[in-house]
Amino acid sequence: MAVVVEPSSSDLQIHRLPQPKYIDALRWLPLISALDNPIALALHDSHSATSSIEIHALKTPPNPPSLDLQSSWPCPSRVSSLRVSQTPQKPLIAASTFDGSLHFLATHPVNLSIQSDTSIAEKGFHVGPIWGVDLLGSGGECVTGGEDGRVNLVTVGESRLSYRRVFDSEGLVSYTAAKWASPAEFATGGLGFSLQWWDQRKPGGAVSQFKGGWGRGGSSGIVHSIDIHPSRKHTCVGGGSSGTVFAWDLRWPEQPVVLSGIGTGERENTSPSESEVWEVQYDCFVHSSNISNVSSSRILPVMMCSEDGILAVVEEGEEPAELLAEPCAINSFDINVQNPSTVICSLEWESVAIITRQ
Amino acid sequence: MPGLVSDSGDSLVPFSPEPSPPPLYRLRHAPRPPHSRIAISWARGNCLRVSFFTNPSPPGDQSGGKVVEVSVGSGDLHDVQRRRIAYGSVSPFALLQSQKNSMSALAGMGVGSSTNVAEWWEHVMAFSDDISSLLGNPKRAMSSIIEDEKVVLKNVEEPTCLKAAWELIEIFYAEKQSQAWLPERLVDWLASYDCLLSTTEGTVHSKLVDLQKELATLQVIENDQKYWQGISSALAVGWLDIVVKLLRLHGSYQLDQLGNRETENGLVEAIAVLVSKMPRMRPELANGTLGECFNTKPEYMKGLEGMDSLAQKCMQLKPSSHSHELMRLMLGIIGENTEVVLAECSRSFGPWMVAHAIELLTIGSSGAETLLHEEQYNLGGISIEELYRLVYAQVLSSHALTWQASEIAPVYLMSCATQGMRLLEILLYKQPVQQNQILLKTLEICRLYELDSISSDIMKIAGVRQWKHGRKGSGVFWLQKAQDEVRLNRISQQLFDYVGRSISDNSFKWEGLIELLGQEAKTVSGLDFLHKYRDFKKSLQQITDGKASDAARQAVESLILLMKNPSTPQKFWLPLLHDSRRRWEEAIGGGDGDGKRRREKEEVTGGGDDDGEGRGDGDG
Repeated sequence: MAVVVEPSSSDLQIHRLPQPKYIDALRWLPLISALDNPIALALHDSHSATSSIEIHALKTPPNPPSLDLQSSWPCPSRVSSLRVSQTPQKPLIAASTFDGSLHFLATHPVNLSIQSDTSIAEKGFHVGPIWGVDLLGSGGECVTGGEDGRVNLVTVGESRLSYRRVFDSEGLVSYTAAKWASPAEFATGGLGFSLQWWDQRKPGGAVSQFKGGWGRGGSSGIVHSIDIHPSRKHTCVGGGSSGTVFAWDLRWPEQPVVLSGIGTGERENTSPSESEVWEVQYDCFVHSSNISNVSSSRILPVMMCSEDGILAVVEEGEEPAELLAEPCAINSFDINVQNPSTVICSLEWESVAIITRQ
Repeated sequence: MPGLVSDSGDSLVPFSPEPSPPPLYRLRHAPRPPHSRIAISWARGNCLRVSFFTNPSPPGDQSGGKVVEVSVGSGDLHDVQRRRIAYGSVSPFALLQSQKNSMSALAGMGVGSSTNVAEWWEHVMAFSDDISSLLGNPKRAMSSIIEDEKVVLKNVEEPTCLKAAWELIEIFYAEKQSQAWLPERLVDWLASYDCLLSTTEGTVHSKLVDLQKELATLQVIENDQKYWQGISSALAVGWLDIVVKLLRLHGSYQLDQLGNRETENGLVEAIAVLVSKMPRMRPELANGTLGECFNTKPEYMKGLEGMDSLAQKCMQLKPSSHSHELMRLMLGIIGENTEVVLAECSRSFGPWMVAHAIELLTIGSSGAETLLHEEQYNLGGISIEELYRLVYAQVLSSHALTWQASEIAPVYLMSCATQGMRLLEILLYKQPVQQNQILLKTLEICRLYELDSISSDIMKIAGVRQWKHGRKGSGVFWLQKAQDEVRLNRISQQLFDYVGRSISDNSFKWEGLIELLGQEAKTVSGLDFLHKYRDFKKSLQQITDGKASDAARQAVESLILLMKNPSTPQKFWLPLLHDSRRRWEEAIGGGDGDGKRRREKEEVTGGGDDDGEGRGDGDG
């Protein structure tokens, strides 16, 4: 059953679709050929303690929104992170798990069935949960960072996978997020609001490192999610504990810009959330301003979702715009790249919310 | 929770003393015998954890074992629909509690009470409506359809017992203005839910359903006994529109018969008109329903005799079987027996129902309120209201999802003044710390309810666990957040062993941990060493890179600091000196540097009694 809630501002439509299972992660599948927008969901059935990845088609207006199951794949353990490649011709879903395994699912572009799956699940790959996963846009390579402090690069071939170890800290650090910046560089995030920048052309360790030491008493937190805009490859935006969203520019590595959270004094009152920010993404839905007009030193608007049920867009120098305020946590969200006015998010109380902006 | 007295008649919560055979659970994944030992403990909620230990064979091998989790009991919340209701009722409940708190605060300040009471009824009705809408939306099954004459009953969504029970309680306890119109409200209720009242015996609804099926085939309706019985049953429960419709199906209305059967038709029509003008005591009627409304009692009494007979007939239609839960509930309500109502709700509809229905029960009747709010000695000093909320909260926390979703069980627990906080603490301690996400969600609950000591305990447990599983960075992070100086000191010793083996190479992996440790003065002194060592290495690196004099001085200063620092373990003195000598020679070389170094070294190690010093002398 779908419930339409009249939102406070008239240009938002919100639909909540209760689901029979708990949703660990969700992503849009960027397929041009599909009629209805396909979504990949990582689900967990608490009753039987099994996990699965399902592809649903989202029926859009004029029909009432609903999710129709297209195909399903049982996952051997619970999914910790889900990514899809952005090339429509070869849609690939990468799912990492709590057991340290990584799975790749190839989907058929038209009938949305899962055609094949390959996985890496050996002791030498990762021990423990993998938190940071990112697929390169073309789908050829995948970077993974785990709680065990290893960073691996996986090459996705036609039928087989191979990986190589980029770094192993032997447990001295843990990685909680990862994102590609360019085919040779990627960023990872970890404990203590730390970000690391890696360049494959300079092996041996991270090229640059950042640690956020702000807040009262230097209380530190974990970076849960990173995003890098394709037109601003030198800036990394990260979201983590205590409602913190910040941007790190490689050109000025010691001066992060805090968009939300307990960073600088005057922003304390306008922070939309006080608890863990689970995911951040650059918001490509702009009303009037053109991205190219915005100077390259200004941080683009970023959307965030948090444990206290807030979905909001934060922008440097502006008041945050709240899209959702739920009584339960919002665990993940995804903005549709092909149609940025639509956002899906997964709610703690076993539902999916679909937001359409005008 | 069983009552605390052995006599089930006196217990406040239903408790059946007769023994039933214990349920048997087969473990499918248990390892094969022999086992040297088996241990059983409760995991979270309804889960039993059974650990099998096997003796090593041959001896000297590592002993093995297996841990299996068994889910015992089905539990209310395995059903998705029940979970949906649980999720949806949190916000209305929380709102009502906060309204209650603010009103009692106002009452404490002496603000006028009569407006408060009216407002309070409104709040409770709003709460009741919210909950009711969660339970489904069955339409009135008895509305007549004009298009199809022969269809007397409309097919609608199947109503649920839970919704029927909730509405019944709402009618009798929470609707203030309808106290005088209770019988009519009961008629409305029966219209929607009569089909539920019995699954085995005939209800009025089922009679009419059967009749409707037959109407399609009967030629001469009025000769069939069931036709007249159907009319009288519907009349007895006040479904006037159905009565009139059935009457108009009488054969005498057919066009070809009208001529012959005028008298008969006139009689039937007269009855139909009388029925449609039946006096009813209610404020208004929905469009299309029949009867005449009277607002006040004297007017009403001028009409037909009171609805007492209606109620009598209702009860006669359903003679003896009290096996249905709704019937028992109704009898308890009509008999104004609060304990029976509570017991029935608890037995048939579960803890959710009792926890939420209590809000309705306490509003009107002061007797009920006293019973539910007074502290019961034999329950350990808590009230019945609190007892049922605690029971419900325990049900919630037995299921992974309704516990893990923050803000559900704590909302109910925090509304229990006496024992809620204590139970919340116990439940928080039982949460698993293995997964980061669940850990963070648990800590969020602690932050919301300002339970700082629990929060720091949980962080300590998480930190030690991460450390033991080899994730040193995570362990240090959590212990730092918990500000656990004792353990940080202890693990710093273990870190040093680790450092000694690997820090002499320039590997990057220490950078991360060192950054994590932070620059605060409060850093545990043992780990301070790593900072200074890193600074020292940096300045040494600068010497090698060619930025000579400044860096050299810095390096020397760092070295002195390091050597003087009491936290630097003595076993590092040799590698430190060795490193710096090597770099020095590479960068500067020559006697001057050596001499300066020797002086510095003497200054530092003047009071020391290290073996390394002797060897160092020889080298320097």
